[in-house]
Amino acid sequence: MFSVPIPASATKDIFLRRDRKRACTRILLGMAAILFVFGVPVGAQAGAQFEDLAARAARARDAGNLTQAVELYQQATAAKPDWQEGWWYQGLLHYSANQYPPAIDAFTHLLELEPHAVPAMALRGLCEFETAAYDDALRDLDTAVVHGAASDPRNALILRVHLAQLLTRASRFQDALAQYSFFALGRVEDPDLDAGIGMAGMRTPGLVSDATAADRVVYEAAGRAGWQLLANNTMQADARFRELFTQYPTTRNLHFMYGYMLFPHDSAMALDQFQQELAVAPNNTAARGMLAFTLMIAGRYVEARAAAEQALTEEPGMAMAQIALGRALGETGEYARGEEMLKRVLTEDPKNPEVLMGLISIYSHTGRSEEARRERLAMAK
Amino acid sequence: MSGWPWRSNAVRAAAIAAALLAPLAARLLAPITAEGAAQKQKVSSAPVTCATCHAKVVNDFAHAPMRHAMEPEGADPVLDANPDLRIEQRGYSYRIQTKDGKSTYTVSDGKETLTLPLRWHFGMRAQTWVLEKDGKFYEGLVSYFPGIHGLATTPGDDKIEPHTVAEAMGRELPVWETRDCFECHATGMKVGAVFTPEKLKPGLDCEHCHEGTAQHMADAQAGNFKTLPVSLKKMDAESVSGFCGQCHRSFDTVIRNGWHGPPFVRFAPYRLSLSRCFSGNDARISCLACHDPHQPVNHDTASYDKKCLACHSGSATVASVGAAEAAPKTCPVAKANCTSCHMQKVTLPTGNLQFTDHFIRIVKPGEAYPH
Repeated sequence: MFSVPIPASATKDIFLRRDRKRACTRILLGMAAILFVFGVPVGAQAGAQFEDLAARAARARDAGNLTQAVELYQQATAAKPDWQEGWWYQGLLHYSANQYPPAIDAFTHLLELEPHAVPAMALRGLCEFETAAYDDALRDLDTAVVHGAASDPRNALILRVHLAQLLTRASRFQDALAQYSFFALGRVEDPDLDAGIGMAGMRTPGLVSDATAADRVVYEAAGRAGWQLLANNTMQADARFRELFTQYPTTRNLHFMYGYMLFPHDSAMALDQFQQELAVAPNNTAARGMLAFTLMIAGRYVEARAAAEQALTEEPGMAMAQIALGRALGETGEYARGEEMLKRVLTEDPKNPEVLMGLISIYSHTGRSEEARRERLAMAK
Repeated sequence: MSGWPWRSNAVRAAAIAAALLAPLAARLLAPITAEGAAQKQKVSSAPVTCATCHAKVVNDFAHAPMRHAMEPEGADPVLDANPDLRIEQRGYSYRIQTKDGKSTYTVSDGKETLTLPLRWHFGMRAQTWVLEKDGKFYEGLVSYFPGIHGLATTPGDDKIEPHTVAEAMGRELPVWETRDCFECHATGMKVGAVFTPEKLKPGLDCEHCHEGTAQHMADAQAGNFKTLPVSLKKMDAESVSGFCGQCHRSFDTVIRNGWHGPPFVRFAPYRLSLSRCFSGNDARISCLACHDPHQPVNHDTASYDKKCLACHSGSATVASVGAAEAAPKTCPVAKANCTSCHMQKVTLPTGNLQFTDHFIRIVKPGEAYPH
């Protein structure tokens, strides 16, 4: 999928933070083209004094005199507050010098002038990460990546690794694993990546740096197995997970992790993992919800119904369990209750395919064949 | 007793006698009933199998396609009849050789040659092989097709452009796809267990569809006939579609996977469910209404006419909720060979296999393949 080979050193830079300027330069290279889109010609905006400041700032920057360059850019933007290029370079130079609060301030000024300046949003997100403003960082990096900031492989590494951790911290584990899959498919390997994958897979909210040394050992091992699965090395992944289960027979969420990652591919294999997870951690409500849903997918409706009812007792609003219960009711003869429950979920999630398929099945079982057919044809299209 | 419709004491006496004698009669007749057969077997101490009591259906099933969903290594009629198959394509030469009950799969680019034993043979007519190399499983990039009496690209693999002999050998299967292949073509897969295809029985045995068979046989030997396997006959058409669809692919499976187009015409339960005449609570449109899984597939189109006419005869009705019972339309063109017009034959894009589209409909001339 990713034909551009990613040097291992790039990953080390990102994780070990030894050379932030290099990483910053990579982002700059990737984003330079975009810069010109929102760059405003200096001459068209300012008088002679402003032009002189801008020219001197550029010379100082080119000469590597970053302190002087920052001062000159500050004077220039004070003279002309709507000079976008000035704010960009201020932010960039502060970021390069690990001066994150003033960098955030500069990028914020730029984004007020140009809300669609995706590179500024991405860099502000990285600065916010460094200042522990994690919610802000997640908002910025998430938006920036959605709008293409990670489309260049050089930028992708640094942005995605931060975003993945923030998503894990926000308990958006599935989204985090989607970000980590980029690294696995690109064959990027790193112990910190493994730990991040392990934390997301084992549903542990937090950053990699939050993990204790003892926990990190487990996260890394689990993440290594998860990495194999994300890289489509499924046989190796299976073997590694089985080793893990032997090594850590009572660790919560290990079976859940494997089941969760298998679920999109094979419900039968996933089902077994959720059952094993519940044997290890009977109060794992997420696992029970997944078990109910997976049993429903597997067509084991009597068992799905029992699991869903129990999951809903533990967490009444769990949509996954509601869908499983609605479908299971419909498949075990309680058509009216099943339909009512599925339609209730449909009001919250009108296009949920599992809800629609559950309703189709009830229509079909009860002889409402025209309704069933109409919905089926609409879905098949 | 006054409410009973006894016309005379003599009739009543005969009825009472019959009631008293029934258990004795049952004992005497036991050897010719299923229960009796099992009990007799118990006495003779020979191993009990499904055939002990259900000999006819087991004998019939011996020739059914599902029984031969996978052919055993060393006894594959397809390869026995075609001991030296060859093809050259995309710069590679392939050779499937069978000798002394052993088959091999060889691929070569002229410089490098790779030969693997053929152990898992999927299909009784067209045949695809699953290969094992270095602990990984692969779907052979070429398959056997009876229509051309030879090899061609395996369906679904036509877009693969191999760059090495190993890639030309086959498509690496993810662990779940490997399990799926064997789950539907063999018997004995255990969820959660380490995948050991050597321990599986090729083809489908009774317990594959009739869950609880082993328990039923054990109990029957002890005279307990209450633990019967789940009866598929009691399922409605919608449930049968889901049941058969576990392997033949249901509507839900196709939607979940986002499958579209002619390659998926082979998934009959999904296609059937799109038909106007498919009603989940009407047994006349169940998979089992037309197909007995214990029998070979009937290719005589006329044999299915009575199934269609069960509804489309002019006098039959279809019950639908919220509306008066409706009489299905009768065909203005013909009363025979219905499937030849209303269930089109569709050739897969690779060109070597043809399937009956179970989306029953009025096919318009020039109409594109729907959905």
